[in-house]
Amino acid sequence: MTEKEIKARYKMAVFGFLWIFLNPLLQMLVLGFIFQFFIPIKTANYFEFLFPGLLAWNFFSYTVTKNTPMYINERALIQKAKFPRETIVLSVVLSNLFHFFIALAMFVLWEALVVNELHWWRWWLLPGIVTWLAVLTSGLSFLFSSLNVKWRDVNFGVQATMPLWFYATPVVYSLDLLPDWLSRWLYLNPMTAIMEMIRWTTLGLSINWTSVGWSLLVTLIIFIVGVYVFKKESPFFDDWV
Amino acid sequence: MKQNNLAVKLVNISKIYQLHHEKPTLVESIFRRGRREKFVALRDINLEIKKGEKIGIIGPNGSGKTTLLKIISGIATPNQGKVQTWGKLVSLIDLSAGFHPELTGIENVYQNAMLLGMNRKETKNKLEEIADFADIGGFFDAPMYTYSDGMKLRLGFSVAIAADPDVLILDEGVAVGDENFQKKSSDKIEEFFKQRKTIIVVSHWLAYMRRNCKRIIWMDEGKILKDGDLGLTKIYEDEFSK
Repeated sequence: MTEKEIKARYKMAVFGFLWIFLNPLLQMLVLGFIFQFFIPIKTANYFEFLFPGLLAWNFFSYTVTKNTPMYINERALIQKAKFPRETIVLSVVLSNLFHFFIALAMFVLWEALVVNELHWWRWWLLPGIVTWLAVLTSGLSFLFSSLNVKWRDVNFGVQATMPLWFYATPVVYSLDLLPDWLSRWLYLNPMTAIMEMIRWTTLGLSINWTSVGWSLLVTLIIFIVGVYVFKKESPFFDDWV
Repeated sequence: MKQNNLAVKLVNISKIYQLHHEKPTLVESIFRRGRREKFVALRDINLEIKKGEKIGIIGPNGSGKTTLLKIISGIATPNQGKVQTWGKLVSLIDLSAGFHPELTGIENVYQNAMLLGMNRKETKNKLEEIADFADIGGFFDAPMYTYSDGMKLRLGFSVAIAADPDVLILDEGVAVGDENFQKKSSDKIEEFFKQRKTIIVVSHWLAYMRRNCKRIIWMDEGKILKDGDLGLTKIYEDEFSK
């Protein structure tokens, strides 16, 4: 409820609502168009391979990058009143999740209408994947935003790490291009499991469920550490902003 | 519920700030452990404020007045001790803080009211009252960046007042806006003074205290130096006119 209220601020002007749909549509067109002409990877349909994963990655990286300096940016709110501090971070997660969801829904619609070969029973996994992604994103957001209140260089660290993280995640490539020993380690990055699961759902590719289990474990650890640090630091945010 | 007649209770409150001379970084704090300067803003404060009391807090700059208010209002957390408050508490310290320039006045009212603990329905019911009191006309549904500073203050004041607090915390700049609005706002505050509301004022304006408060707390160097009636303002005045 409260999160929804703060979300009002991300509402854009007259064409605001339209942009929510236009953005992913344009992205879809551009990607679809480009990969008609050069296909770097031997995957049956690179567009289908790339697009949903890219959406998930964008959600993740936008949200974490935006949330990290959030408590510094919103110092006026923090100094004004006592309110649950987590609303600030969660409102960013939720509003980005909303955009992600719409884009994803458009993709599903596209697949259903144009491609028309869905494994429906697999597609039911999508909400679960999205939930997992949201938990991971919130956990990291809590962790980095809390630390950044005391140590401002965390923000620079996150900005520097995100592009590296992008390449450490199979967004533009697929795991089976890598040697076995490396791809196993990549599962320590929970985004890998999310990418693989998305592809298992949309394209029916095979997946190593044991490794997914490890990723889930890493995610839970990140979330618990993030919430713990946040709980410990948030009463003292006012001292540092 | 023995303490039902209390509004605020502070037990052994201490607040220590870390002094940092530069922007703190994680890398530095790993390499330079244990080299931290401390600043004690409050030492071992014990204070009980009853419902309906009108309290003035006086003291020189840096004596811990603002920190005390922050602790009472729950914005800052003490390093030691326990804070308890009863009833809705609103501070008029930084009126235009928390307004977002891209949002319209109405949207900002909703957001600000939410921070002060009002839900959507309550705010909706009071929207007209807020608009009337702020009296900013057609600007109410215009984005905040088109507002003048005075308008922001007026809107901030109106929202805070509409929250109908049980405990009100006021800072020096009690009077906001132009002549007309100053009159209106001080009338409103007088009204609060008359009702059975708890009011905590921080000010250097002793005449105002004398008119409105019953109890004076004199702070110095993070401690409560004296706690008594209006006579303290006289002693305080003498002390600093020496």
